[in-house]
Amino acid sequence: MRAPAIRALGILTGNEESADGGSAGASSRESADGGSAGAISGPPQMKVLTLARPDRPGDRFRRATRECLLALAAVDAMLEDGKAPREAIAGERTALLYVTAAAYGASNREFIERRGGVTHFAYTAPAVVPAEVAIEYGVTGAYGILIGGAPATLRAIEQAARLLEHGTCDRALLLAVEIFEECADLYAGHRRFTRWPLVETAACLWLERGEGELRFESVRGGAAGPAARGGERFAAGPLADLREWLDRASDGPLELSGRWRGERARLRWNMLTSHPRGGAA
Amino acid sequence: MAAPERVAIAAAGVVTPIGQDLEAFWSGLITGASGISQIERVPVADLRVQRGGEVKKLGRIKEWGAVPDCRATRLLIAAADDLCTQSAFRPLPLDPARVGVVVGTALGGVEEGEKALAGDRTWRRLPGALYDAPGWNLARWLGARGPVITVSTACASGAAALATGADLLRRGEADAVVAGGYDALCRFVLRGFNALRSLTRDEIRPFDRRRSGLLLGEAGALALLVRERDLTGPRLGTLLGHGSASDGFHIAAPEPEGRGLERAIRAALADARLSPADVDFVSAHGTATPLNDRIETAALKRALGPRAHEIPINSIKGSLGHTMGAAAALEAFMCLLAAQRGLIPPTLHLEEPDPECDLDYVPGRARAARPRIMLSTSMGFGGCNGALVLEAG
Repeated sequence: MRAPAIRALGILTGNEESADGGSAGASSRESADGGSAGAISGPPQMKVLTLARPDRPGDRFRRATRECLLALAAVDAMLEDGKAPREAIAGERTALLYVTAAAYGASNREFIERRGGVTHFAYTAPAVVPAEVAIEYGVTGAYGILIGGAPATLRAIEQAARLLEHGTCDRALLLAVEIFEECADLYAGHRRFTRWPLVETAACLWLERGEGELRFESVRGGAAGPAARGGERFAAGPLADLREWLDRASDGPLELSGRWRGERARLRWNMLTSHPRGGAA
Repeated sequence: MAAPERVAIAAAGVVTPIGQDLEAFWSGLITGASGISQIERVPVADLRVQRGGEVKKLGRIKEWGAVPDCRATRLLIAAADDLCTQSAFRPLPLDPARVGVVVGTALGGVEEGEKALAGDRTWRRLPGALYDAPGWNLARWLGARGPVITVSTACASGAAALATGADLLRRGEADAVVAGGYDALCRFVLRGFNALRSLTRDEIRPFDRRRSGLLLGEAGALALLVRERDLTGPRLGTLLGHGSASDGFHIAAPEPEGRGLERAIRAALADARLSPADVDFVSAHGTATPLNDRIETAALKRALGPRAHEIPINSIKGSLGHTMGAAAALEAFMCLLAAQRGLIPPTLHLEEPDPECDLDYVPGRARAARPRIMLSTSMGFGGCNGALVLEAG
């Protein structure tokens, strides 16, 4: 498959450390090597994203959940990275793909525990996160939402590449959001379910048609891989790795990988014309 | 550009409020059966509307064995059991690593979270609350070891799942895909829709002047998808194309002109390399909310032009309730069965047509017709729109 070009990538990543399900505490440096399930001692750590309500006109965001607001902030960061106005992503020629493993957990819990009020129900749907982005930026093209961890994100990149290759869209936005703080006690109660520390992340990747080759591979089973660098970000992990690769200004082929449940996936991305920081633009 | 590789729907399996296999589902639709009843499985005494399309006794499988005690998972597996019974697909007749699973859902395993947080508080159920948990449970039950994908474009999820399954086959990532949708009625969603006041105390009356809202239903609906060139046995039909589009308008309400749905329809027809003139029948989303049916009518008129007035269009939600993640898959299967059997199921409880919904919505009774090309439309929370183009036989 033809590799897409990277136009821009915005990413917000947790740097406020929260331990044992408590509120965000003092800022701390990110762990270099993370941890692994079963190997942790003491309370599991979590790095949360703090974000003020965006300064946007009207009261449309009065009820919006944190995952929605973080998604909007990630798109803003992407536009800033690409030095593009918001109009550049508006319209029906922009596809929007959203991936998350668990960001909806916070709003689901809030509704279950009756803290959100009756109108909160609409915000429990994963579909509402990309919907807020679509509404705010006028994105009305092809649309997809995958639920899962890093392999789902790698698959979504491939899906975006296919949409671009087939001419279904001129640009594709891949949005990934993971938040944990509201369910910190639940994650702590299921320590073996994931690796630690959990790092809240919101990211948006802007892809356009490019040259080169993209190859996606997925297999089931196999030994557990090493802990994710810098912590576990579920679906947002590959975009954090991509940001790191872009910041290194590497010239070589890019390889992104990730695992979730029993699946291991890998994306080999050999870009010929695209270049870090939007060279294909 | 060449037409996309044709993907056959080799077989389908369902569990619905009107029947727990494909034949019973079909019989219920053409005879005008209603699956709406008082909800019994979960407490509803505090809710304004207490009826829905509940599957009363999940009787297909006698021994659940190691299958998790999760309603969503069991709906999926009951549908899969029907599918496998018809197609001899379990044990898997091919390399398990080449069998994929793609399911669409609006709610996933949220009831597991509800039970843990508001019920037994054992928290052992919590991992099952992740929306992709039932899909993985289905893959385990099938013994499938290929890709396992969960999509969640709200009430358009079933269409997205069939489309994603077809794409897996076209890319060669699998040789067979079990794809479809599901959702279970639980307190979470009943409370939510009650709060939104979008449920009716009347019958569900799609496109009727008196329509006053929807009722929710639960179901599982799965298809066995294979590349047409690999198909050796009979088929139900062919998935020719699909399209999706975002409204970009409101998180819970559809865009007033239905522009997003119109774009999805156009995209699906373009994907299938067909024109509006080729469409013989439409399965509408038809939720029976005052807004949806008017908007959908307008979108169909724009997307299909004069053809919209010439062809039958139905909604089966009057029989089943709105089965959310399962709805689009059930409606796709209904299209294919209609073509195969030469009968189009009626739009149940449509008695006084709304002048603003002035298309042929098949009121009253089933109609003899044998459509060849069919369009199925879906709309969901968050402005998700989906459309499928299907071919008979």
